[in-house]
Amino acid sequence: MNPLKTTTRHAPTGPVLEISGDLDYTTVGELRALVTALTLQPGQRLVLDLTGLEFCDSSGITAMIIAHNHAQAAHADIALAAVPDHTLRVLRLVGLDRIFPLHPDSDAATQP
Amino acid sequence: MCRAGQEPGPHDADHDKNDKTPHAAFAALLEDSVEELYENAPCGYLSTLMDGTIAKINTTLLDWLGLEGEAVVGRMRFADLLTVGGKLYHETHFAPLLRMQGEISGVALEIKEVDGGRIPVLVSSVVKHGSSGEPQLIRTTVFDARERRAYEQELLRARKAAEQARKEAEADRTRLQDALAVLQQSLLPSVLAPVPGMEAAAHYRTASPDRLGGDFYDLFPINADRFAFFLGDVCGKGPQAAAVTSLTRYTLRAAAVHDPDPVSALTTLNQVLHERYTGDDPRYCTTIFGTLDPDPTTGQVTVRLASGGHPPALVLRGNGKAEFLPTPGGLLVGVLPAAAFSATTTVLDPGDTLVLYTDGLTEARTSGDRTALYGEEALLEFAAGHAGRPARHVIQAFTGLLDGFGDGLDDDTALLALGVPARTPRTEAPA
Amino acid sequence: MDIERRNNVTVTGNPRGRTVVLAHGFGCDQNMWRLTVPALADDYRVVLFDYVGSGRSDLSAFSEDRYASLDGYAQDVAEVCEALDLRDAVFVGHSVSAMIGVLAAGMAPERLGALVMVAPSPRYIDDEGYRGGFSAEDIDELLVSLESNYLGWSAAMAPVIMGNADRPELGEELKNSFCATDPDMARVFARTTFLSDSRDDLKAVTVPTLILECTQDVIAPREVGAFVHQTIPGSKLVTLDATGHCPHLSAPEATNEAITDFLARLR
Repeated sequence: MNPLKTTTRHAPTGPVLEISGDLDYTTVGELRALVTALTLQPGQRLVLDLTGLEFCDSSGITAMIIAHNHAQAAHADIALAAVPDHTLRVLRLVGLDRIFPLHPDSDAATQP
Repeated sequence: MCRAGQEPGPHDADHDKNDKTPHAAFAALLEDSVEELYENAPCGYLSTLMDGTIAKINTTLLDWLGLEGEAVVGRMRFADLLTVGGKLYHETHFAPLLRMQGEISGVALEIKEVDGGRIPVLVSSVVKHGSSGEPQLIRTTVFDARERRAYEQELLRARKAAEQARKEAEADRTRLQDALAVLQQSLLPSVLAPVPGMEAAAHYRTASPDRLGGDFYDLFPINADRFAFFLGDVCGKGPQAAAVTSLTRYTLRAAAVHDPDPVSALTTLNQVLHERYTGDDPRYCTTIFGTLDPDPTTGQVTVRLASGGHPPALVLRGNGKAEFLPTPGGLLVGVLPAAAFSATTTVLDPGDTLVLYTDGLTEARTSGDRTALYGEEALLEFAAGHAGRPARHVIQAFTGLLDGFGDGLDDDTALLALGVPARTPRTEAPA
Repeated sequence: MDIERRNNVTVTGNPRGRTVVLAHGFGCDQNMWRLTVPALADDYRVVLFDYVGSGRSDLSAFSEDRYASLDGYAQDVAEVCEALDLRDAVFVGHSVSAMIGVLAAGMAPERLGALVMVAPSPRYIDDEGYRGGFSAEDIDELLVSLESNYLGWSAAMAPVIMGNADRPELGEELKNSFCATDPDMARVFARTTFLSDSRDDLKAVTVPTLILECTQDVIAPREVGAFVHQTIPGSKLVTLDATGHCPHLSAPEATNEAITDFLARLR
C-alpha cells in the first residue's frame, strides 16, 4: 500500500492537482476534501494529473466524479492527464472516458 | 553494617567493661528477644503435629482468632481454624501437596474469628524433619491478607464488569448482524419468477457480514409473454449504499412496467438517482437491465439488454463456446443529468445461458498484491469450460470459483444465470 | 458422541484383569489416583476418567442443567461404562463420587458389580438425628466463597508448584491436576455436591461394598462413615489410621492394601 500524495500547482489554464500513490476507500476522504475546497473561476480548467497514481478503485472514481461536479458548478472545465492503464480500463468500463477529456500529460492538458 | 561481634577487636574490648557485645546492646535498646519476636511478630506462627494438631501458636495469631492458648493447643487442628471452603481446600489440596513436597507457600485461605468474622490470610508451611529424615512437625506462617483481598476483589469486580460488558457487546453485535441480514435479504428477491422455457439461478455473496452489500438483482414478469431482469452494483457499502440499492431496485421495477425498453428503464433510473444524489455526495450504480421474450414454438428466447457502466454480460453457448456481450459506452447510472446507455440484442438457443455478474468476481485478487486481479480474460476461459451446462450448474461452478478466491474476495458478488434448457436432455455426469 | 474423549477416559493396567473404575471427587481430576493405580495395575484393568467440567474433559459438553444433580454425574459414569462395554466392574469413588457410584450402579446394574467408597458422605449438612459435619450456614458460606473468590481457589497453587525443584515432574502433574478445573463448572459441582442428600439411595445398594474412612476427617467425620456402613446392607467398613479427607494421597499404602484386599475377596 502506498500513501496518497497530492500537489496543487497553478497553470495559466487553472489549477493542476497532481495525485500519486493509492486512491482507495481509506485515502479518498483527503482528496474529496482537497477537491471541494479548490476555488475555480468560470472558464478555468481543473486538471487532475494522474502520472503517479498506483491504484484506483471505485472510491477513486467517485472522487473524480465529485471533482467533475465541483468544476461544473463553478462553470469550469475538468480534464485528466496521464491516466495509467489500470485506471483507464475502469474509466472505459464505466463510460467515463467519454465524459472526461483525457490528455497524455499535464502539458497537453494545460494548453489554452 | 553491624559486625555482630564475632571477632572481638580493640574497639569491642572497650565495651567489654559493660559486659555487652554490640549485638546485645542493640537487643537491649530494642527491648527485643527471640521469644518476644515469636509471640508478637507481625504475622501468625503455628506449629502442628503431622496430623494437624496444634502444638504451639503465637499471640498475634491468637489475637486475630480471639482465642486463648489453652483452648487451642492440643485441642484443635489447623483445619479447625479455617472456614468451610478453607477446610475443603486444606484437605484436598494443601495437605496432600505439603505431604508430597515438604513445603507449600502463599496459599489464600480464610481463618475464623471467634465472634464469627473472617480474616483472609496467606498461609505457608514447611515440614520439619528429624535427624533420621522422618517428618516431625509442620511449621506454618499466616499473613494478614485483608488489604490484598480487597484489592483482589476490586480486580474481580472489574473483571466481572468487563465480562458483562463483553457479553452485552456481543449480544448487540448479534442483534445488529441479524438486522443487517434481514435488510440485506430485503434487497434481493426471495424467489426468481419462473420463466416458461427457461431456467434461472442466482447467487449472492457478501464479503463481510457486518456491512450491507451494494449488489442487487431481480427477475420478474412484465406481462404474460415478457419478463425483465436486472443486476447491478451500487458504489460504496453500508446503510447509505443499501438505501440507494433499495431506491434503484424499486425504480427499475416501476420503470419496466411503464416502458420495458432497456435504455428507457436505465434513463428513468438515471434521472431518479441524479435528482436524489448530486454534488459532493454523488451516488451511482452500474447496472445491466434486460427483457426476455421467449418464443414457445422455437424454444428460442430473445434478449434485449442495456448497460450503464457495468461489466459485459457473458453468453455460454450450447456448442461449448463463451462470449462477452459488449455494451460499450454505457455510462455509470446517476452521474450526469443526461446519460447515454448502449443496448444490444442476442438470441438464446436451447443450450445457451446468459450470465450476469458484478465486478467482485473480475476484481478478485489472485495474489497478495492487489494489482493482480482475476480479470475478464480468465473469466471468459472459465465460462467456456461450463458452456452448454444448465443454469443451475453454471451458478454452482461460479460459486466454486468464488470459494477458491478465499481472502482474495474484497467485494460483494452477485451472479444471475438465465438459461434455455437443451432440447435433448443430456445426462449429467455425477458431480 | 465420543464419550471416551468427552470424559478423557484412560484405560491402563492388566487387560485381562477385572475392571476397576477410579472416580475422582469434587475439585480434583483423575490425577488424584496416581498413587493408587500402580498398586492395581498388575492384576486389574484400570479405568480413569474426568467428569465433564473437570480436568481435561470436553468442557463444551457441560450443561448446567444436567450437572445440577448427582444423577447427571452418574449418567457420565453409566455412559463411560457403556462406551467401554464394561461388565461387573468395580467402582472406586472418592468423596462425593462414592455416592455417584451408588446412583450409577442403580442405573447400570449389570455393569457395576462392587463398590469401594473412599471417605463417602451421603449428606454434608447436619439434620435431625444425623451429623454430617457441616451446618447449613457453613455450606452457604462455602458456596459464597466459591462464588466470589475464584482468583484464590484456582490460581493459588501455581507458585507452590514452581518451587518444587526436586521433583519437577510432580509439580507439573499437580499443576494440571489442581488447576485445570473451570471455576464456573466447579461452582456447579460444589453446589450439587454439598446440597445433595443421598441417604435414601444407600438402602438400595445390593452389591458388595467396602467403605474406607479416616480417623480424622473434617469433611466426612466418623459418624458419617458409621451411618453409611449401617445403611448399606452387608457392607464392610475399614477405618484407616490416616488424617484428612484423601487417604489415597495421605496414606496410600494402607488405602491400597484395603482396596486390593477387598478386590481379592470378591468371588
